[in-house]
Amino acid sequence: MKRLLLYLSVLLGGAAVLFGAETNDQTKAHSDVLDLAGAFQNDGFKLRDGTWYGQVSKDHPQAMQVNLYSGNGYWFSAANADGSTGLAVSVFDDHGNPVEVQSYQKDNKAAAGFSPDASGLYYVEVSSSAPAATIFCLIYSYK
Amino acid sequence: MPPPWKWLLPSIIAILLVESSGAQQAREGTSATPAPSPLTEAQLNAAIALDSLTVPTPGEFFKAIDKTGKPNWVSQFRPPTPISGVNRAQMALNLGTLIADGYIAVEAQDGQQVKNIGRDVLALAKKLSVSDSVLARGKSITQFAEDGSWDQLNEELEATQNEVKKALEENRDNDLITLVSIGGWIRGTQVVTGLLVESYNPETAKLLRQPALVGYLRGKLDQLPNKLRQDKLVVKVNADLQNIANLVSFPADHVPTANEVKTLNQASAKLTKEISTGE
Repeated sequence: MKRLLLYLSVLLGGAAVLFGAETNDQTKAHSDVLDLAGAFQNDGFKLRDGTWYGQVSKDHPQAMQVNLYSGNGYWFSAANADGSTGLAVSVFDDHGNPVEVQSYQKDNKAAAGFSPDASGLYYVEVSSSAPAATIFCLIYSYK
Repeated sequence: MPPPWKWLLPSIIAILLVESSGAQQAREGTSATPAPSPLTEAQLNAAIALDSLTVPTPGEFFKAIDKTGKPNWVSQFRPPTPISGVNRAQMALNLGTLIADGYIAVEAQDGQQVKNIGRDVLALAKKLSVSDSVLARGKSITQFAEDGSWDQLNEELEATQNEVKKALEENRDNDLITLVSIGGWIRGTQVVTGLLVESYNPETAKLLRQPALVGYLRGKLDQLPNKLRQDKLVVKVNADLQNIANLVSFPADHVPTANEVKTLNQASAKLTKEISTGE
């Protein structure tokens, strides 16, 4: 019976990955980050309909490429699933140099606000000071 | 009667104190933190790219343009796109251009045009066997267009595009997702350069710099299965994108001239036409 349950959970997990369904950890991180991004939406920022789920721990940050437009303002918001503090969001230019951002950090959430001077490629990095690996969800909004 | 400052001052203080909870929450905990170390070459190479976040939406592109003046969006409408083809690659590319048309209609605040385009998007989605999942979106688009809810329409269009891509993924048609993104970006570029040809503005011209984005899209084309990659239209799109990549790859401090913008407009208009006609 236990073996059957194990097979079923593996099958369901596989199906979740295959069809893009969220795991419980992803759902928690997604829900928390939407809370934070809602505050920026109240300030007129529009939320992109896309999410980035990843796993982060101390010394193992994750970076994603984004293509931004000068003149727009952006907020990149992240939250982790395990509730640990120490999450941070940073932005880098196309050469990997850090750009000045407005940072937000509270509880298990973090965000970086940025208005690029030049259109083009940027990197958004999510890092954590917690040693244990945690699932995070990042979304972004613009205005 | 008390002097005006006696009642005016408390009112001003009250107004300053009563901020929206969202704005306040957003500011709480914000600070300028010390800059992190630069990313290493290995970290730059390991950075992931996601279609749903790495490729900007036409709406994001157009939002930046709105800040540089009052664009004549109506001038960028085009005649209805034929949706009778049977080539799936062409249909996916066309779907991308149509969704971009939806954003243009929203910017122009033309409800009827939004509804017409929404109908065409649904018809094309149906031909790609993804209509069930976008049907509900189509109804919302019609409703928002009737109500003149332009902000919601912008969000609904992006959600529709993602819904289509998700459905393509579920139908094991992942390869077509790239083509939807390319169609949207090309049509968006044609529109922005079209506005600039009408009325040149250096601030808007600076927005055309997107070298990495075209590189990303071409990279995805190179990963397509042989059969799709050798499709006559896809070959044409890939070749034209190479030319367009050169036109949008300029240093951050360069402002494209009116002539450079015109060349890009001609290139993107040619490609949009090829996508539309399949020739």
